[in-house]
Amino acid sequence: MAAAVKDSGFEALENLKSTEPPVFLAPSSSISSVARVASQYLFTKLKPHNPKSPFDELLVDGFDAEQIWQQIDMQSQPLLSSLRHEFKRFAKNPGEIRKLGDLAMEEDSREGDVDEMDMDGLDSDGVNEDEDDDELEADESEGEEEEEDGEDEEAEEEDEEENEEQNEGIEDKFFKIKDLEDFLEEGEAQEYGTDYKDKKGVSMGKKQNLRDDDYDDDDDEDDEDEEDEEFGAFAGDDNEDEDNLGKARYEDFFGGKKKETKKTRKDVFEDEEAGDGNQGTDKLSTHEKELLKLQSKIDQMEKANLDPKHWTMQGEVTAAKRPKNSALEVDLDFEHNARPPPVITEEVTASLEDMIKSRIIEARFDDVQRAPSLPTKSKREAKELDDNKSKKGLAEVYEEEYVQKSNPAFAPATFSDELKKEASMLFKKLCLKLDALSHFHFTPKPVIEEMSIQTNVPAIAMEEVAPVAVSDAAMLAPEEIFSGTGKIKDESELTQEERKRRRAKKKRKFKAESAKQPVKKARDTNTEIHNTGNE
Amino acid sequence: MAEESTEMDIQSATEPESLPAKPIFKPLKAHEMSDGKVQFRKVSVPPNRYTPLEKAWLDIYTPVYHQMKVDIRMKSRKVELKTRADTPDVSNLQKSADFVHAFMLGFDVTDAISLLRMDELYVESFEIKDVKTLKGEHLSRAIGRLSGKGGKTKFAIENSTKTRIVIADTRIHILGAFSNIKIARDSLCSLIMGSPAGKVYSKLRAVSATLAERF
Repeated sequence: MAAAVKDSGFEALENLKSTEPPVFLAPSSSISSVARVASQYLFTKLKPHNPKSPFDELLVDGFDAEQIWQQIDMQSQPLLSSLRHEFKRFAKNPGEIRKLGDLAMEEDSREGDVDEMDMDGLDSDGVNEDEDDDELEADESEGEEEEEDGEDEEAEEEDEEENEEQNEGIEDKFFKIKDLEDFLEEGEAQEYGTDYKDKKGVSMGKKQNLRDDDYDDDDDEDDEDEEDEEFGAFAGDDNEDEDNLGKARYEDFFGGKKKETKKTRKDVFEDEEAGDGNQGTDKLSTHEKELLKLQSKIDQMEKANLDPKHWTMQGEVTAAKRPKNSALEVDLDFEHNARPPPVITEEVTASLEDMIKSRIIEARFDDVQRAPSLPTKSKREAKELDDNKSKKGLAEVYEEEYVQKSNPAFAPATFSDELKKEASMLFKKLCLKLDALSHFHFTPKPVIEEMSIQTNVPAIAMEEVAPVAVSDAAMLAPEEIFSGTGKIKDESELTQEERKRRRAKKKRKFKAESAKQPVKKARDTNTEIHNTGNE
Repeated sequence: MAEESTEMDIQSATEPESLPAKPIFKPLKAHEMSDGKVQFRKVSVPPNRYTPLEKAWLDIYTPVYHQMKVDIRMKSRKVELKTRADTPDVSNLQKSADFVHAFMLGFDVTDAISLLRMDELYVESFEIKDVKTLKGEHLSRAIGRLSGKGGKTKFAIENSTKTRIVIADTRIHILGAFSNIKIARDSLCSLIMGSPAGKVYSKLRAVSATLAERF
């Protein structure tokens, strides 16, 4: 069935190829059926290369173009990515293409349809046919190469394992000395324009005949195998045949067990390290080297612990115990009791200026105002030095002093107090009279307790209900104003005797008054000067 | 006997014998203190004080005899004072004698009376020549400085220091309390020494202020 399908498919393909392009423009059932068969054939051919595809064969019956296309798409997508990887690989190492070429020879012997195996999906409409043809051809070549690779890898896996072990000391999955050397030589070639030969004997610039014998260099093949291994990780499944899958081992990916051979060690180190003195450590494995490092570290730390501590670790240290100026080199932490001065930034300045402006506008200046002096004690009545002979006897003076000390309440008022009293009394009286003048409202007289003996007071005093403004003088009766007999004579009416009598009376009065007052001597400046001159 | 002596009755201490009451004695009178002897004081009268004494005799006699209860009499230009039986205090006689003596020095009765009433008053006397040797006109001038015009300087000192001063020719007597006497004496001495009255006045003012503040 498969062979029949193959044959019919192949015939269908041939048929499609032969048809004229304009025929595809018009939909015809015959062409579509032929196309479907061809697609199926191609699908089945591609199937081995794509183990992930869910379809074993392209389901064509009863499916429309969209569905067929989807199936082909599902198969081809992973295939395309793997093919891209292979393509890149071959771009770097054209030597492998040679291998594929060999493989193709073998394949041709096996099958005749290798050329058309790798065909991408065909759309029934046939719009993308040209593209598909191109892809098909590319894929074909790649497919050949892949198959070749797969065969080679199978054969030379064992060799890989051996060679792997030799280089295991410094190499692991990330770093290979051979790769480094190749890279360096590549770079040199590019820089200096030398046409260097790859280890495989293939010059990068030219692509030599793929059919050259590279089996002459068995050593180089070891490198290839190792390189193949790298890519095996990415497209291992695609590269290897289905038979190789079961044989994939840990060692293939992450390197095998480590065995030491002095020779390879020396080869490697001679290239890269000159004058390496640690021949003794050559034998050690990575783990042992790490142990050595740890040990050295431990020794260091132990030594540090035994030595005296650094002065910063010694607790309280005075200046004598530490080296000179060593405190400068260390960051010392202080407790600052004072607040650090404010950092003047533009914002601070701006805020200050705003404050100043507002203060000026408000006219609210903080001028220092003189503190008001405490209210001085009322100056004690500064006793003026009395020049006059004191009227009190000394006993009375001390008596008063004693009384004041013991019983201030009973102390008789001092001279100044009396004066004050008198003054206040006078003023009150004056105020009363002034108030009476200014209004007619009755304000009672202030009660002044006075003890005085009044003579000539009538036994009964009738209260005079009259406004205060009316003076007492107005209320007096005529008799009280003038007391005298009725006969009053004017001057012109007086007789001579009566005049004499009046004059004598006057003189007597005057004399009596002048006798009371001592006559003051009239000040005569002339005489005074005269007197002083004499003395 | 021996048995009795050995067997001493121990009086119980629960009821201690009540002690006799403290005796209260009245203070001794002068008369009794001197064992009935009468004490005398005699104060001689200088001639210049004879007339004032006659004038003020009653003022002197009355307080001494009636209040001090001291016998006082004038005999041959001397004033004699004698304690009576009922003189209450020993010091009365001395006080009276001092009072009379002060009068003799030249103080007024009203001023001298203070001696009778207060204990702390003293009379201090000194001469001008004790302070500074002055002769002739200097002396006169010194005396003039001391008294001042119409005695105002003297009165100023008296009033500010609560003392009484008597300047008798070259003798100066000051009556008053001890501290006051000192102040008065200082101002008088400064006057004798030659300081002007104004300076003394200013000092007196300060002194009087402090004196006034104290009380």
